[in-house]
Amino acid sequence: MAFYEHTFVGKQDLSDKEIDNLVSKYSDIIKKSGKILKTEKWGLLNLATKIKRNRKGIFIHFKFEGENKIVKDIEKKLSIENGIIRYLTVKYNELDLNKEYFNFKKKNKFYEKE
Amino acid sequence: MKRNKKKKGKKSNYKNRLSLFQRPDIRFNRSCPLSVKDAPSIDYKNIKLLRKYISDTGKILPSRITSVCQNKQRKLSSAIKKAKILGLV
Repeated sequence: MAFYEHTFVGKQDLSDKEIDNLVSKYSDIIKKSGKILKTEKWGLLNLATKIKRNRKGIFIHFKFEGENKIVKDIEKKLSIENGIIRYLTVKYNELDLNKEYFNFKKKNKFYEKE
Repeated sequence: MKRNKKKKGKKSNYKNRLSLFQRPDIRFNRSCPLSVKDAPSIDYKNIKLLRKYISDTGKILPSRITSVCQNKQRKLSSAIKKAKILGLV
């Protein structure tokens, strides 16, 4: 058993329903033989360069604990999927669950008050 | 006289921004900025930090310019490469 971080980038024109389907689909795969510690939605972000004719992408981030088989399974299925640009998995010995680098909610609240 | 004033202004900018085409005669502090107490953690999600150690064209800056220690430079370069895969940097 080891800890993993997995992110994938969806195309910009995916609707909210399609994204929710993607999230539920891959979280189900993980839950079969591991457990999810955290899921984050980073939202629409600008890509640094054009990737497959896309300027922007929707980022989704999983933190989970499990075996190597899960990673192989996910990456196999993601590579066939149409609406996905890139994906990345990173292995860790320990996971830091508190820090969030892409949490912009606090800023939005500030603007709403004004 | 006006020309001289302009040149002086440019020189002061050199120290603020790190770049590949730097003058070697400017001295930098030798201590590593990433191994100080309460230093920021090197992570592929920490884009603000990674952007400091990248040139305008997307190259990784050498440690002789940034004065990052050898151990941290290795971790930095692997973090930058991961961020490049996702298109963050």
